Amino acid sequence: MDEAQLDATFAALADSTRRAILARLAHGEATVNELAAPFDISLPAISRHLKVLERAGLISRGRNGQFRPCRLEAERLDGATDWIEHNRQVWTDRFDKLAAHLRDLQQPPTTEGHTS
Amino acid sequence: MTDATPDLGEVVLTRIYDAPRELVFDCMTDPAHLTHFWGPVGVSTPIENITVDLRVGGVFETVMVNDDNGERYPSSGVYTEIDRPSVLAWQEPGGMVSRSTFTDLGNDRTEVRIHQTNVPAMFRTPEAQAGMASSFDRFADYLSRQQRA
Repeated sequence: MDEAQLDATFAALADSTRRAILARLAHGEATVNELAAPFDISLPAISRHLKVLERAGLISRGRNGQFRPCRLEAERLDGATDWIEHNRQVWTDRFDKLAAHLRDLQQPPTTEGHTS
Repeated sequence: MTDATPDLGEVVLTRIYDAPRELVFDCMTDPAHLTHFWGPVGVSTPIENITVDLRVGGVFETVMVNDDNGERYPSSGVYTEIDRPSVLAWQEPGGMVSRSTFTDLGNDRTEVRIHQTNVPAMFRTPEAQAGMASSFDRFADYLSRQQRA
């Protein structure tokens, strides 16, 4: 996932309603009406949220019929989770290398007459 | 700042070094040191690719280079807190803050704790929290292996 996609994904997820929609879709496909039911907001407002999620690649919508059920695109979510793990790995490596660097810095100077 | 278990939406890493606190702090702020360890495994950070303007509001920029294919990974931040040798923090353009605290443990040992906050909202989804929980577990395993080694 490139930086721009990641930004779109994170921006889409910055909203609590959209996160709740994704949590619902983690249990299976749902129509707009089903998704709107738990929220005290209008259908057009839900549709706007769905458009943001769809543009971010986090959901897809069926092409058939007027209901166009929504489906979670878990792969995109995995991509973002990967980024989090990547960030952690970078810092872990960095800390390992810093430990080695500090050992080198503090090594007492060699006093032997002949070294390799 | 407390030592309470952080929200899974935050990232905390700690490490103890056998080195005095001033030296560990300087390693994190001096390009001549940073070039030795800033890139993860397989990635280098040539000294000319590191800019440190060590004052609040000053830039901290690096361009890491992949050793195999030369791919470049630029990143930039602005220092938000500098208190040598105990605190160092910078903020990336996306809003994420990385704040390191350096604790003197005595006998020239130093604990570094890096606490990343304002990480992308991704963390707060149930799916990502499940992923984070497992990566915390893996990290705990990793740490215990390091300690046994």
